[in-house]
Amino acid sequence: MRVSFIIGYGVPKFSILLRPHGSCYLCRPMCSSSTSALTTSQKPRTSLFLRPPTHSATLSDLQKWQNWAKNLASSVGSTFVDLDNGPDSTLLRRELKWLVEDVTEDGSISAEQQRNIRLRVSLEELYKLWKQRIEERRPFQYIVGCEHWRDLVLCVEEGVLIPRPETEKLVDLVADVVSDNQGLREGLWADMGTGTGAIAIGIGMILRSYGRIIATDLSPLAVGVATFNVQRHGLQDVIEIRQGSWFEPLKDVEGKLAGIVSNPPYIPSDHISGLQAEVGRHEPKMALDGGVNGMNDLLHLCKGAASMLKPGGFLAFETNGEKQCKHLVEYMETNAGGIFCDVNLVPDFAGVHRFVTAFHK
Amino acid sequence: MVSVWKSFSVNLFGLLRVGTSNGVARLALPSSHPILSIRVRGEGSSKSTWSQQQLRDNRGSFFHIWCSKYGSISSTDTYVNGGDGDYRGKRYLELTDQELMRQCQLDTFKSSGPGGQHRNKRESAVRLKHLPTGIIAQAAEDRSQHMNRESALARLRTLLALKVRNTVDLDAYSPPKELLQILPAKSTIRGSDCGPQIGPKNPKFILGMQALLDLIFAVGGSISEAAKFLGLSTGALSRLILSDDSLRMVVNELRISKGLKPLK
Ligand SMILES: C[S@@+](CC[C@H](N)C(=O)[O-])C[C@H]1O[C@@H](n2cnc3c(N)ncnc32)[C@H](O)[C@@H]1O
Repeated sequence: MRVSFIIGYGVPKFSILLRPHGSCYLCRPMCSSSTSALTTSQKPRTSLFLRPPTHSATLSDLQKWQNWAKNLASSVGSTFVDLDNGPDSTLLRRELKWLVEDVTEDGSISAEQQRNIRLRVSLEELYKLWKQRIEERRPFQYIVGCEHWRDLVLCVEEGVLIPRPETEKLVDLVADVVSDNQGLREGLWADMGTGTGAIAIGIGMILRSYGRIIATDLSPLAVGVATFNVQRHGLQDVIEIRQGSWFEPLKDVEGKLAGIVSNPPYIPSDHISGLQAEVGRHEPKMALDGGVNGMNDLLHLCKGAASMLKPGGFLAFETNGEKQCKHLVEYMETNAGGIFCDVNLVPDFAGVHRFVTAFHK
Repeated sequence: MVSVWKSFSVNLFGLLRVGTSNGVARLALPSSHPILSIRVRGEGSSKSTWSQQQLRDNRGSFFHIWCSKYGSISSTDTYVNGGDGDYRGKRYLELTDQELMRQCQLDTFKSSGPGGQHRNKRESAVRLKHLPTGIIAQAAEDRSQHMNRESALARLRTLLALKVRNTVDLDAYSPPKELLQILPAKSTIRGSDCGPQIGPKNPKFILGMQALLDLIFAVGGSISEAAKFLGLSTGALSRLILSDDSLRMVVNELRISKGLKPLK
């Protein structure tokens, strides 16, 4: 029922077929798990901002809704902050402004406007959506069906992880290493566990016509959303989406990757139940749960990277913070058979040691 | 006079106030997008410079730009000198985004807790400190970290135009092209080769605005004097100044400091 309103809107057309690419690696017959993406990926629902403004409401009715929504946001006070470090009224009111931005044609409601305002969802739905935001703690990004990330607007929906601002930096790290390394810039990259396709698209914008990227995910929902986002950004010739578990869909490119980038699930299992409601109740566990100490996938990827990367290849992983970073660095320096060099810890914008980067010798 | 920064920033939405306390000049100006507040701090100020806590206190309002300066300028003089007639101030504005960014220290909001996959919360405030001048620009209202950085950079450019003064030789004065371009067509010294008048919404406006402020400062805040140099009537120049909130604020602040009446 919750998503019933989206049915009936045409999803912008995109071809599910993945075209073969100019790159020699990608011209090879794809392994079976990658072709399964073609059949199992699903069309995402349409983000509010992409819908046609086929609804309308009078200025006064819309203002009435806005006041109601503001009051509801204000009534939250610091309840959610105290409960689980969730959003406060200030943040919720800011989200409300963004919601108005996405559903109105002009991006705002102002008294100078005509008495009838064209909307991308009905007024009734607006009430329902804001109630879901406050009462069910449904994440704002799932309400509007998108997230602004770097200079991109990425479509996102339930079942697919909302890209985080911290992760924006992974793209900068790649931009840095390719800026003075032609071999890496023109090589083949992999974004493992791509979700919305955020990292792959960010890197794709940088590599453009030079390199190629394979973005993988086990979740068919993620594959559907990532495929859509890649198409929407016109990067279908740069990014290929493959479905499957970690390295399994990449057997044909073993030892050939110029770079591997990943933000795999890294939350320790016993933290999941205590997460902020927006995350714990609404985002997919498969995208968050990294096993007992949160390191299962990170270690698996790290081990696999040794044989997937070509000599000189680059590696960048996002982690849960300092503890995981150190663990990973230690693994790379002592247990990985001397395969990695220049192992580096990189902080995120908040100063938390978030990323580990390294090169294959 | 406002003593608590927090209430200051929130309460002044849409209002205009100018005041000084503790050698700290503060001004808040309503701007088109959507509120701009500027704090200018003199070197001798007893309070520490920008702190995380202030940012945290202020994240509720739309955005803030803090201006501070260092160097041997007295605490009542809130302007940074762009250099002894070498037009350094102008050159900052001519830098590319990347070059300007290289002159800046980038700070971002320090969130508490683990962040990353744990959180769904946008604490994506960005603070840029322009090291050569000490001018600080911040943005917090955009929807992504990256875009906040871009906004902060755009604001830094505006602040550089507003705050960095170049010396003007009035005896040999001839307005630079960027200034001519923001003047109304009726200016008698503005040739037709200047093209249509550039308005405040155009990114090129700030270059002209900086040159205009250089002139107005050189003539001690007198609009009629400045107007003569620009081939405009006093009224026409006033209207131009009033067309941009931040320009008006800075001119009025200067006029008040010189005992002149603010423009309305
Ligand atoms: C933390 S999310 C990151 C999503 C995206 N890269 C981002 O940064 O926004 C982890 C992703 O890994 C995917 N994933 C989980 N287990 C996987 C597996 N065994 N193989 C491939 N992908 C997997 C999840 O579906 C999810 O999309």
